[in-house]
Amino acid sequence: MKQLEFTTTHRDHLIALLAALAITIHIIESAFPSPLPGIKPGLANVITLVAFMLFGWRTALQVSLLRVVIGSLLLGTFLSPTFLLSLSGALLSLASLVLVQLPFRGHLQHQPGAIGYAVIASVSHMSGQFLVAWYFFIPHPGLFKLLPIFITFAVLLGIVSGIITQFVLNQINDKKIS
Amino acid sequence: MLNQKSSVSKATIKPADIIIIISACFLTVWLYSVFWFNDSLPGDAVSLQIQIADNPPENYSLDTDRVIKIEGTIGDSLIEIKQGKARFTHSPCRNKFCLFHGWLSTAGDTTACLPNRISISLKGKTSAYDAIAGGK
Repeated sequence: MKQLEFTTTHRDHLIALLAALAITIHIIESAFPSPLPGIKPGLANVITLVAFMLFGWRTALQVSLLRVVIGSLLLGTFLSPTFLLSLSGALLSLASLVLVQLPFRGHLQHQPGAIGYAVIASVSHMSGQFLVAWYFFIPHPGLFKLLPIFITFAVLLGIVSGIITQFVLNQINDKKIS
Repeated sequence: MLNQKSSVSKATIKPADIIIIISACFLTVWLYSVFWFNDSLPGDAVSLQIQIADNPPENYSLDTDRVIKIEGTIGDSLIEIKQGKARFTHSPCRNKFCLFHGWLSTAGDTTACLPNRISISLKGKTSAYDAIAGGK
């Protein structure tokens, strides 16, 4: 039997490592009850943010897609409404991060810090999820009464996860990891 | 790989962060004002659907204010249509749950008088179904 051989690059290892971290956080987080369906701390996005700020959007995209797909396979929600919500949120939040960073290309020292990016990611994640939920699953205008509450939580939790992200980045910087 | 590292070092809060947080707060306040404190927001209800017992549902326009008299199983119910809203105003039933429900104002709002076997709901332009439920 012929042995299969793969050649892996340093980048593959990096993405696998980040994705594994994100998936672990994602699964641990899903074990905690949430006050309202759709609201959770979103700590797995800290990893996506770290990937985005250190290695750019391509790495972040790969990490977050891996997180959404593998996380849902492990939780048993693959291709369910939950999965679609998770996927749409992840994609829209990365797209917004890229859009926000665009004007800072070339002079990245002025780009937002972790907190700014985290708030953008969190609010757009929530909006993406909300619009998909409204358009596909609950096409009822009454749903929009909940939107302000969701966005309030998104802003607050975004600031929290931004602070955590900044902490992680500082640690990486101090210890010269990776 | 770490080409962007210098730009994400120590600095905790940058001017851009403050701008982002302030605009997020404005967005939140704006959303509250639009979706919570704006009664004129139409729930895009266009008609009132009334179903009596097993008969096919009938649609009534919400444009003209009027009171509709419906002959149910145990007596007559009155349904008032006013300014795009609808409610039960009289019912022969005992519990009067249909009256206590008050005004139906947005598309999808529904109430019923079970003893009299009448159900009414506001219909919007779309929505072939109410919701899709999915487990986790």
